[in-house]
Formats: sequence, structure tokens, C-alpha cells
Amino acid sequence: MLTVVLQQGINGIVFGSLYVLVALGLTLIYGVLVQINFAHADVVTIGAFAAYFFTFAFGGNYLISIGIALMVGAALGWLVNAAIFAPLRERGSELLPLIATIGVSILLQNAMLLWFGPIPYAFDSPYSNKVIRLWGGTFITLQNLIIVVVSTLTIALLYAFMKFTYMGKALRAVAQDRETAGLMGVNPNQLIMLTFVIASALAGMGGAMLGPILVLTPFAGTTVIVKAFAIVIIGGFGNVEGTIIAGLAVGLIESYTTQFINPGLTDIVVFTLLLLMLALRPTGLIAEKREENV
Amino acid sequence: MRQHSAILCIGVVASIALFAAARDAQAQDKVIKIGGLFAMSGPGSYFGVQDKQGIELAIEQLNKTGVNGYRFEVQYEDSACSPLPATQAAKRLLEQYKPEVVLGEECSDATLAIMPLMEQAKVPLLNAGSSSIKVTDPGNPWTFRIMPNEVMQGVDIATNAYKRLNARTAVLLYENTNAGIGNAKVFGDTFKSLGGQILADIGFGRDVNDFTAIATRIAGLGKVDVIPTYTLEGQGLRITQALAQASVTKGGGGQSIQLGTIWLPFGFEQKAGKAAVGYVRIVQFDPTDKRDVVQNFIRSFKAKYNQEPTHINAHAFDQILVVADVIRRGGKDSQSIRDIMATTKDFSGVTGSVEFDKTNQNTKMDTIHYMETSPDLSWKALGWN
Amino acid sequence: MLTDRVRISRRGWFLVVAVIIALLPFVIQDSYWRTNLIVCAINIMLAIGLDFILGYAGQLNLGHSAFYGIGAYASTLLVMKLGVPFWMAFVLGMVLSGAAGMALSIFAVRLRGHYLAIASLGFAVIVHQVLLNWISLTQGPLGIYAIKPPPDIALPGLPVISFGNTANMFYLVASFAFLFYLLLDQLVRSPIGETLKAIREDEISASAFGINCTAWKVFAFGIGSAVAGAAGAFYASFVGTLVPDAFIITESFTILAMVIVGGMGTLIGPVWGAILLTILPELLRGFGDLRLVLYGAALTLVVLFMPGGIAQAAQMFRARSGRLATSTDAGMRR
Repeated sequence: MLTVVLQQGINGIVFGSLYVLVALGLTLIYGVLVQINFAHADVVTIGAFAAYFFTFAFGGNYLISIGIALMVGAALGWLVNAAIFAPLRERGSELLPLIATIGVSILLQNAMLLWFGPIPYAFDSPYSNKVIRLWGGTFITLQNLIIVVVSTLTIALLYAFMKFTYMGKALRAVAQDRETAGLMGVNPNQLIMLTFVIASALAGMGGAMLGPILVLTPFAGTTVIVKAFAIVIIGGFGNVEGTIIAGLAVGLIESYTTQFINPGLTDIVVFTLLLLMLALRPTGLIAEKREENV
Repeated sequence: MRQHSAILCIGVVASIALFAAARDAQAQDKVIKIGGLFAMSGPGSYFGVQDKQGIELAIEQLNKTGVNGYRFEVQYEDSACSPLPATQAAKRLLEQYKPEVVLGEECSDATLAIMPLMEQAKVPLLNAGSSSIKVTDPGNPWTFRIMPNEVMQGVDIATNAYKRLNARTAVLLYENTNAGIGNAKVFGDTFKSLGGQILADIGFGRDVNDFTAIATRIAGLGKVDVIPTYTLEGQGLRITQALAQASVTKGGGGQSIQLGTIWLPFGFEQKAGKAAVGYVRIVQFDPTDKRDVVQNFIRSFKAKYNQEPTHINAHAFDQILVVADVIRRGGKDSQSIRDIMATTKDFSGVTGSVEFDKTNQNTKMDTIHYMETSPDLSWKALGWN
Repeated sequence: MLTDRVRISRRGWFLVVAVIIALLPFVIQDSYWRTNLIVCAINIMLAIGLDFILGYAGQLNLGHSAFYGIGAYASTLLVMKLGVPFWMAFVLGMVLSGAAGMALSIFAVRLRGHYLAIASLGFAVIVHQVLLNWISLTQGPLGIYAIKPPPDIALPGLPVISFGNTANMFYLVASFAFLFYLLLDQLVRSPIGETLKAIREDEISASAFGINCTAWKVFAFGIGSAVAGAAGAFYASFVGTLVPDAFIITESFTILAMVIVGGMGTLIGPVWGAILLTILPELLRGFGDLRLVLYGAALTLVVLFMPGGIAQAAQMFRARSGRLATSTDAGMRR
């Protein structure tokens, strides 16, 4: 019994890291732009496909394909922002960019369906079937271990970037008050572009790492996106530490619900938690010192 | 000048003659219009894309010589694997194309939604992919199914598990869809009635990607003899790998045998690798079957598409063959096609034989082939049927 | 003089619409297009209900599919499991959806903007999952089949009106859509509409004026979701088959798109949005695999270039032609 509980704990942390990888980009975009991006999921999917084709069609190295996916993600982020969000930002409405992201999402998904077809691709990295036995009869696959490690590293890097570098501080300034930041000599539009590029790069990279775990079809991203949003809110919109904690929490909730109740009910549990959080503590797990009309 | 007008006259007359001849030839070439209701958009297009391949191949072959003076023509409409789009697609198909016979759908919900429309329009519907018992059980004279339904499959595999594999404990693992729940329930009921024990009943959503948690839960249940798994290849692959990683199944050094269904295609083992060793499953299409119709199908499919055919390609191909058989026996319009189809006997297709009972369900058990995955990942035919 | 023209126009327009509804089944005889018309009418109900909540009360509701689903399942289950007569079940379905809407609204009373959006999304996910998992009640993915259309109406001296006939079903659903539109139009033009707009523009100032914002938000949500519930009841009795996946959260996005493409906060805009986004995918069927790619592109382009939607485009067109008229007048006067 102990083995099972421990193992589900490990599974939960892996699930959690998976979600955090997707949610990070979302929380970043929201933090700076105050904008929900539904097309984020599709950048993850495209990242996964990019890595797949690099590895299998071109015979490239899997680890390098992660870098490729990161660049593809970044390029896509740049494109979407330049073509769609920058023009819409002038109008000031909250809703229009949201609908635009929905349109872009439908477009991307169906374009992928045309190019790649609906049949799932079996994307296995050299690490996905290597099992590492741990203590007490528990195990973790090498791929999952890599995910946890890379997630942690990325988060640490991102955190350091936001807190200690000039760029990071400028981003936070833009997030708090775009106009004043502009007056202080920061170019908000450039920084917004930077945010998008970083967020989409993260998404692309996440896709490459998740590819060997996901059921890889053009619809793969949608299977994780809604929960990623839930995590972003539970953790506090725009709050990196909160997202991590929320992500891990959701991962653990999923694995323990699967164990003791029923896998079909994980969504209900997670979203009920979300609604509870919104009712009791809408600013999220870690309240940011931010003036906001909740 | 006169020469010019002469040439012009001859030209005109010649054209008219040619045109008339062509029209005549066309008029002699009668056409059977076949409607195809399959999902072409959304995740359901997984089926539609493969159905189309099988159908196109069959029609290409048959139209080389025609059948009884008839050629075949197909029109597809996107039913999107869901009741309302399927209804819209069906109506559009029936009204604008007016087919003599319709093939489809794959998803049980969509099939059940279009059945009443076909009945109202008096057009026979031939189904090869929905397993829900409700498609034929109530006895609809206009709906035919060549695929073994969930009761046929479930009772058979549960009985075989108990008797041939000596399984006494099982864990049901299935996707939360009509087909998944239906099939799992039949297995569970049959297994229990024989004296077996169901240790866990685990349903999961179509959006689950990582099955480590589920595999862990199964690992903690003690001695599990068989794990009947009802899901499509994408999630099926992840499940098989997870079960092996958790050392539950034979492929991972454990003792449990995964039992699979018709839904996993040929080529699954190559994708799953060692994890799939020891997997026992029903397949709708057995490429090791030595019959000519099967081997010819495989050869021509590979020649046309440069890939191995799956069971979906095969059952779509068979649908056309069944229709061709009916035309050969004298069918020419919807009513005669329906009547003659109902009397189909001694028909042998790629997926097995076809003979319809009074509810128009194909009851031939040789459509249920059993395979076991050998250590070299090839299939070993178990010959249980 | 201008206002005179406008007042006559409005009543005139309503008459025109009524006539069009009456004539449509004669112009369109085939079952396929009549089906599309019925789906249009259902979508119009969904769109105007959402516009009332979103465009007029300013509440960012991304979970409209939940109320649609609750109405569909509630009315169907009441008829099939408890033998409740159809029209009573219809009303009860609307009441239940309305109540759910009000519950969500009360719950979210402190939330605004994106928080409310995600709360409503979460609510929709939960409703969908409950419909999917509570198999003993809803049959879950196994689905509910053979749902009957509304019962025949036998008026003395007239032939029996059966709703299995698509023309009759269209009249029924379109009439209700028209009725709901009239009702919402009245509300929006009354002082209630002004109150809602005040809350939408600036809630803090509105409450400073003594407006009970909470009560009005709850009211708006209740009405909007009740209309969605009615749409659900018609969906079920028309399609005859009910599965939880018909009310998946992407449905919410489709309805939202109808409102935005049509023009949020105009009520007539969403009607056009609903019609366009229902008919467009059908017209694009000829494009086969490209269908949804074009649809996504179209949606994105409309948002980019016409953020006020069709209503805005119509207004711009009218303004431009108005200007033309005055310049001609001036020319003639000279």
C-alpha cells in the first residue's frame, strides 16, 4: 500500500510538472498583457510535431529537437503577436483578443489536421521507455525525470530573470502600469513582443518534451489547456510561484483521485477546487502585492 | 469557300455523331450511387480518413469491369462523429445526392442518430464500425451491420479468457464513450457469470494522456489475470507502455495479460515495442489469413497507398464488396438492394464471412479473430474461432 | 422627423421578419436546409441570451454551453423519466437553467473580467463532466435516444399539427426565437436596459448611484441562461438524440463567436452572427477538408478588421449612405 501511495505521489509530481510547463507561458502572457490566449495549446502541439519530425523525418537528435521546437514556438509567438495581438491592442477591449485567439486556435488545429492527419503519431524519445527503479518499489521513467528537472530549471531561470535582470524588471513594470513604464523609458510594445516570444518558446519546448507522453494528434494541446488555465488561476494570474505550487497540487490531486476514486472524476475535483479558490481567495494561492479590481 | 463549308459540315456532323455515341455509351453505363457518412473533421476524422482509403480502393478495382453493367460512385459527407452534424450531413446527402445505399458511421451515437433518417428515406444503411447493441437489436429493416457487435465480442472474449487463459480476476479498463462502456459492461457481466472476479472498473476520458497513475493503481491490486482494454490506438499505446513500466503486464515482466479489442490496428505492436508482448486481442482484420481475398487486398492496398492496411481500411473495403455482391445478385435500387442484402449468405470478405440474421446483424463468428503478440512483435493467430 | 422614420422602421421591421418566417418553409422545401434553419433559430436564442448577459450587463460569461445543456437534459429527463408533459418540462427546463445561471452569478458576484470568465468556464466544465459521469441519471456517453418532438397540437376544425414535420418545427422554434428577441428587446430599451448598461460601463459609479448591482447581474444571468435552457429543450426534441459532448465547452466559444461577430451589445447583431456562423460551415461543406480552416480564418479576420461585427458594418454602411443622401439633397436644393 505504501508503495502505491508513494508512487502516486511521484506520478503526481510528474503530472504537475507537465502542467506547469504548459501553464508557465500562459501565466507570463497574462501577467504582462492581462490577456487570455487560447491558441497557447496549439503552440504546444506544434512544438511536439516539430520535435517529432526533426527526430523521425530528419533523424536528428531528440535533445536538439527540443531546441528546434523552442525556436519554432518563438517564431510562432512572434508571428501571432505581430499579426493579431498588436493591432488589436490599440482598441483596448478585453474580449476581442480572446475571440481572436479562439479563431487562431481553430485555424491552427485544422491546418495541422490537414498537414498531419488525425491518426496519432507514436512519438517515443530514447528516454521514454527507460525505467529507473527507486526505493520502496517505486519507479519513474527517464523521460519523466527529464521533464521534472527541465521544468524546475526553467522555472528557476524564469524567476531569476524576472526578479534580477533589467529586462525582467521592465516586464514587471509594464505589467503593473503600462503607461508609466512607457514614461520611464521602457518600450511597452517591444517588451510585450518579448513576452509573447518567451511564452511561446516555452510552449514549444514544453511540446517537445511532452510529445513522448501525449497522444500526439492535432488536438493534443486541447487536452491540457483547460486544466492549465485552471492552474494559472488557482496559482494566481501572473504569479510564477503560485503557478508552480498550483500545478504540482493539481498533479497530485489527479493521481490520488485516480487511485482512490475514479480517473473520470479528476476534472470535477480540479474544477471544483478552482471554483472554491475563486470564491475564497480569488487572487490565488500567493497573493501578489498588486492593485487589482477583482 | 465551298471547300471550307464542306469541311465545316462534315466536322459538325462528325461531332454530333461522336457526341451521340458517347451519350449512348454513357447511358449504357449504369451507376450505383453510394453515400459515405464519415467523420472528416475533428478527432473522429481518424476513422473517416481510413474509411475513405478502403472505399476508394474497392471502387477503383470494381469499376475496372463494372458489376452487372453497373459502375460505382461515392459521395462523402462529414458527419463529425456526433448526432447533430451527422443528421445534417445525412439529410444533405439524401436530398442532394440521392444515393441508393449509404455506408457509415463509425461512432455509435452518430449511427443511432442517422438510422431513423435512412429508414424514413427508405435507403439501406450498411455499418461496419459501431459496436453498440442498439444499432441492430431493436430490429431495423433498413440498417445492416457486418461488424460483430459488443455482445458478440464481449461474451466470446470473456468466455475465452476464463476457459482458455484460466483467468479468474480481471480489471476493466475503458474509455468513457458509448463503445467503451458498452463493451466493458458485457465483458464484466459475462466474466462474473462464469465465476470470475472484477477487481476494478476503471473508466477514463478521451483526454487522458498519462496512464502512469492508472497503471500504478492496477499494480496495487494484487494478482490480476487479465486486463480487458477498450480504447483507440493513441491512448491504447500509452496504456500498454504504462502497464509495462509499472511491471503489471507480461511485456514489463509482470503476469497480467492485456486483452484487447478490434479497435487497435495492425502496426500497433511496432509502435508499442516490447511492452506489447503477450497481448491477446480480437482483430477485425487478420493479415496472416491465407485466403485470396485478404492477400489480394493487402497487396493492392500497399501498391496504392504504400502503407500497411488497418482494420478500418479493411472493413470499409468490405462494405463496398458487400454492396457489389448485392448488385451482382440483382440489386439496382434502394428497395431491391435492401431486400437482397438481407439474404446475403456465403459471402466472404477481408474481415470474414457475412450472413445477416433477422435483425440484419452479421452473426458469423469468423469475423472475430484472436491474435497474440509474439516476442518478435509479430502476430500469432490463436485460431479460437 | 428622423425619430419618426426610426419608430415606423422598427415596427415595420418586426412585421417584415414575421412575414419572412412565415414564408421561409415555402421557399425552402428540402429537409436539409430546413434543418439548418431550425438550428439557426436555436443558435439565435443562444446568441441573444448571451448578448444580454455579456453585451448589456457586461458579464464575461464563457460557460453558456452549461445552461444550454442543463435545459436540454432537464426537460428531456422530466418527460422521459417522470412523464411530465412536454410544455411543463420545457418551462421547468428554463427555470432550472435560469436558476443555474443565477447561482453562478451569485457565486461570482465579486469576480470580474477574466476571473469571472474562468469561473464560468470552470462551471461549464463541471456541468459537462457531471452530465458525462452521472450515468444513472443522464446515461452519460451512452446517450438518450428516441426523444420525441413536442406533442401534436390538435385544434378544433384544423388539421393536426405534428412537429415531426420540419416546417412545423421550424415555425415553432422560430416563433419562440422571435418572441424571446422581442422580450429582450423590450427589456433592453426600458429603464432596466439603462441600468444594465450603467453597471456594464462602471460598476463602482453605478452602485454609488444606489443601483443594486448584484441583484441586476443575477437578473441578467438568470434571463440569459433561461433562454439558453429553452434552446436546449428544442435541441433535444428536434435532434432526438442527446449526448453530453453536444455541450462541451467549445460550444460556449462558438456562441461567443456568434455574439462578437454579430456585434456585442446590439441584440440584432448576434442574430446575424448566429445565422452567419450556422450557415457558413454548411456552405463550406463543398470545401471538404478546408472547411474548418476557412472558418477559423474567417473568425480571426472578422475580429481583426471589424471588431464591432456585422452590426458595426451595417451602421457604417447606413451612415455612409445617409451622408450621400444629404449631399444629394444639398445639390438639389442648389
